[in-house]
Amino acid sequence: MSQPTHISAGFTDPIHDAQAAFRQALNALARPGRRVTLGAAVKGLPLGPAMAALVLALSDDDTAVWWQHDSTASKWLRFHTGAAVAATTSAAAFAVILDAESMPGLDQFAAGTAESPEQSATLLLEVSSLDDGPAVEWRGPGIKDTQTVRIAGLPDGFWTQWQINHALFPRGVDIVFTCADAALGLPRTTRVRRLEGL
Amino acid sequence: MTNTATSESASQRKRWLAVLARANRSELENALARESLVAPFEYVRAAEPGMVMLRGRIGGTGAAFNLGEASVVRCALRVGGSALGIGYALGRDKRKAELIAVFDALLQDEARREAIQRELIEPLAWRQAAQREAAVQAAAASKVEFFTFVRGQA
Repeated sequence: MSQPTHISAGFTDPIHDAQAAFRQALNALARPGRRVTLGAAVKGLPLGPAMAALVLALSDDDTAVWWQHDSTASKWLRFHTGAAVAATTSAAAFAVILDAESMPGLDQFAAGTAESPEQSATLLLEVSSLDDGPAVEWRGPGIKDTQTVRIAGLPDGFWTQWQINHALFPRGVDIVFTCADAALGLPRTTRVRRLEGL
Repeated sequence: MTNTATSESASQRKRWLAVLARANRSELENALARESLVAPFEYVRAAEPGMVMLRGRIGGTGAAFNLGEASVVRCALRVGGSALGIGYALGRDKRKAELIAVFDALLQDEARREAIQRELIEPLAWRQAAQREAAVQAAAASKVEFFTFVRGQA
């Protein structure tokens, strides 16, 4: 009998872990640029703790997930939440991107419609660091005055794409950056200004 | 692996899962105690109750319809690095689903399969078949035969 690929465990305490992860995702997007900590490492899974917790808590059998690189993680997620694999970027409710340098453009993902702006994609981006990158200034709802953020590992032209995404409001995509067990939220309402490397 | 081999082992697995699902929890607990396992369970999915929608067909062969929801409890675990064992059972008994998953994991191990089949699955299957036969007989005893008399004949 053919064995299915090795499936790792999900949340150890499904109810409380999922609630905690959801609450942290809410905090991250409600206070853009303020770091939150969530998740625990999952043995045998090629995803960081925060990424694993987010995708496990947020997806279900109605949300198709786009995977940048096919791996055992998509089968793992399907086992635990029923989330199907999205064939194209535009069909996805969530996108798991582990290699930010080679990610598709933000306009490749669903931005919602004027009547249903919530039918858009939420991108989960694993980056190499949340402290070492070029400084960028965020302003907007949820931020008092300004918030300086230093995310490393993003492709060239990312912030230009983000300005275009911001201009689409109320449509557009939202992003949560993860780095190991830390996460940073970037909702579509946030305006961005580059401070260095212009 | 040839197609016949995989489908044969799949139907074998279906059979033992069905027998385990119909067993009593006490039967499974006793059998587990006899196995004297040392390795701890590694839960991939801890036992959780849920609902399934039972489907029927009108008259047994006609249009499909929703019969009703049934409580089902399921569990997925490994025992000491074994294959993934999955247990599903009607009801809300979480321990029973765990026990089924443990035996499913052990039965997938070629080395232990024959012994467990012989000592647990076969006796359970025989007892379940006997119970089912008794129930069928009892129902058959209450069957009423209808005769229609045609006018002009005895």
